[in-house]
Amino acid sequence: MKNGFFNSKSGIIIVFLIPAFILIGVFLIFPAFWEFYLSMTNESLMGISAVHPQFVGISNFIDVLTDPSFYNSLVVTFIFVLESAIIGQAGLGMLLSLLTYRKKIFRTLVQVVAVLAWIIPDSVVAYLWIAFLDKNAGTFNNLLALLGLARTNWFYRYPLTTIVIFNIWRGTAFSMLMFSAAFDMIPPSYLEVADVMGVSWWRKFKDIIFPNLKRVFFSDLILITLWTFNVFTPYLLTQGGPGTATEILPIYIYLNAFQNFKIGYGAAISVIVLLINLVLASVYFTLSKEKEGISL
Amino acid sequence: MKKWIILLVSTCLLSISIFAVPTVSIMIQAAAGGVNSQEVTWFNQWIPKIETDLGIKINLITLGVSEEDFNAKLALEIKGGGGPDIIWLDGFMTPEFASAGYLHPIDATATIPEWQYFYPSMKAYGSYNGKVYNIITDTDVRMIYYNKELFQKAGIPVPWQPHSWNDILKTALILKQKLPGVTPLQLDAGTGMGEATTMQGFYMVLLGAGGNLYDWNTGKWIIGSPALTAAANFYRDVYITDKVGDPEYQLTPGGREQTFKAFQQGKIAMYIEGTWLYTSVMNPSNTSWGIPNRDEIIGWAAMPGRGNPGDPKYVSISGGSGFVINANSKNVALDEEVLKYLFYVEPVDSLFELKPSILPSPIYTDFSMIVNENKYIAETSKLLEYSTYRPALPVYDQISYQVQVLTEKLVSGMSVDQALAQYASAVTNIVGKQNVEILP
Repeated sequence: MKNGFFNSKSGIIIVFLIPAFILIGVFLIFPAFWEFYLSMTNESLMGISAVHPQFVGISNFIDVLTDPSFYNSLVVTFIFVLESAIIGQAGLGMLLSLLTYRKKIFRTLVQVVAVLAWIIPDSVVAYLWIAFLDKNAGTFNNLLALLGLARTNWFYRYPLTTIVIFNIWRGTAFSMLMFSAAFDMIPPSYLEVADVMGVSWWRKFKDIIFPNLKRVFFSDLILITLWTFNVFTPYLLTQGGPGTATEILPIYIYLNAFQNFKIGYGAAISVIVLLINLVLASVYFTLSKEKEGISL
Repeated sequence: MKKWIILLVSTCLLSISIFAVPTVSIMIQAAAGGVNSQEVTWFNQWIPKIETDLGIKINLITLGVSEEDFNAKLALEIKGGGGPDIIWLDGFMTPEFASAGYLHPIDATATIPEWQYFYPSMKAYGSYNGKVYNIITDTDVRMIYYNKELFQKAGIPVPWQPHSWNDILKTALILKQKLPGVTPLQLDAGTGMGEATTMQGFYMVLLGAGGNLYDWNTGKWIIGSPALTAAANFYRDVYITDKVGDPEYQLTPGGREQTFKAFQQGKIAMYIEGTWLYTSVMNPSNTSWGIPNRDEIIGWAAMPGRGNPGDPKYVSISGGSGFVINANSKNVALDEEVLKYLFYVEPVDSLFELKPSILPSPIYTDFSMIVNENKYIAETSKLLEYSTYRPALPVYDQISYQVQVLTEKLVSGMSVDQALAQYASAVTNIVGKQNVEILP
């Protein structure tokens, strides 16, 4: 009994890991392989190929990679991720946590507002934003009209900008919470000494705050980039339109798979998106490892 | 102790009686107070009667979503092995659903006594590969609706009947000049409007130039023809050259509902649509978009052809929906009982009263006061003579989507040649090179 499997250290580790591996296997690994299989077929939701899907090899991938609307989606997605996640959410999150550093009441207030925007369900949020921005009855346009400014159909005139701002509003809370928590781990004496020495705010940020924040910063970037890359909520606001102006990849997949009923084709795009996600994640991991111990 | 046993026994009995009542679920694309609200009212009237008469329970599922979302949800549910027993499905989707094995064929002759008197076109519309899948409840025609008040304000005499595309554009330009803030013409475009774009939009124009999407003689899809070019040019005239239509409605999510609202409020002057717009959307009983004095202020005109020699005088295209049975349904015999009931003269008449339409059989119309008193249906039914149907092929839905994309590009300002070239290559990709043709 003493030297049995369950008493050895690795044995226990394996036993504890089994449930997790089963869950990951059933809900992540199996679907990924299933998707890969689907991407090799002409499986459809309607018509004859819904009954007898055929193996078509890599022709779906060829179709995707030669489809101009795929590249349009790719470009739209990169702009969306860059502007809304990396610049918007991370930038604003950093700014807010800096501004509220060691201001307890102010920070609580800002956090409550930000977290509220973060925890409301997608469908509710979408409805609120449509009601807010509607051209004829929306609150925002009513305010503009009061000020004598022209009413604007924001989803039509500035579609991508609108969903970028929407996504910043929606997701800044996460970055802000991460950064605020990280700030609190910096010993206050560092900054106090710097204050006594009369150091500029930029030097404080560069030499004290950022080095202490780096790990949090990179994990935050990994997470929000991947989330934003895969977010579907803008569909509820613009349905990818007008035209293809806001057709980010998840929407492009949805339209192909469920509005055009081409399941196999949709799966092929999903596989490509999965690969892009893996590349993005590994780039960040490598970067965060390299940066360790090197000052800016 | 005794109480205990009584309670237990009665609970058991109760649950047995609940489970013993067979249930039929019916799903419709409608919402009380919203889209197709009259259908909900109708079911609420008839369900209690059917339940008592047949000794069953009916579970009505209403979904107030767009037709595209409705079809997608339905297909996913049935493919997943579930779904409601009976569905009120748009007839043009019958081939897609039937070829996917989602529908149970219906023995219509045995099930529905009225079936033998259905118009042949209605029988064919609900059939696929020689089997009946969809018992059509109604059909329709398409036309131009116009707001008489706005026309009079602009000094255009009513009743109004255009005889060419030019007449439409000229009228639209007068409206544009005389009534700022009013959109002269709503001609559906874009993917957001869904099937409405293809049917009441592009098809109505294309037919007017003597064209079609599909060549019945050769069995091929037409990817290039003078009529296609003419139709695309008409879209360009409306949205880009003359700017008598508003691209914003076509390209904004929820644009279709916004046009209903705008038409109700007198912000759109002409609207090319089907019977449904008059009898359901503008119906005074519709709390969202109804027009209380609809009969006085809304006029209608037949949609003219282009106006060149040889073009059709008027055009229309007909659709309609009906009841289908899910292939996964556990009790088809019972579903057929329900269908049989729904197609009795009385329920059909009462549906007509709530939401008038062109009925699928003279058996419902010949002796019905309600139907015969309806001037709108009597008058517009004359358009059936000019009307045609969409190609009932499983691939139609995908081609239709490409038509929506084509019009979306046109209203966004893409040149006619470029947009048509992209349409041609997209359609070729779908059906293959051997199944397309270019007409000189």
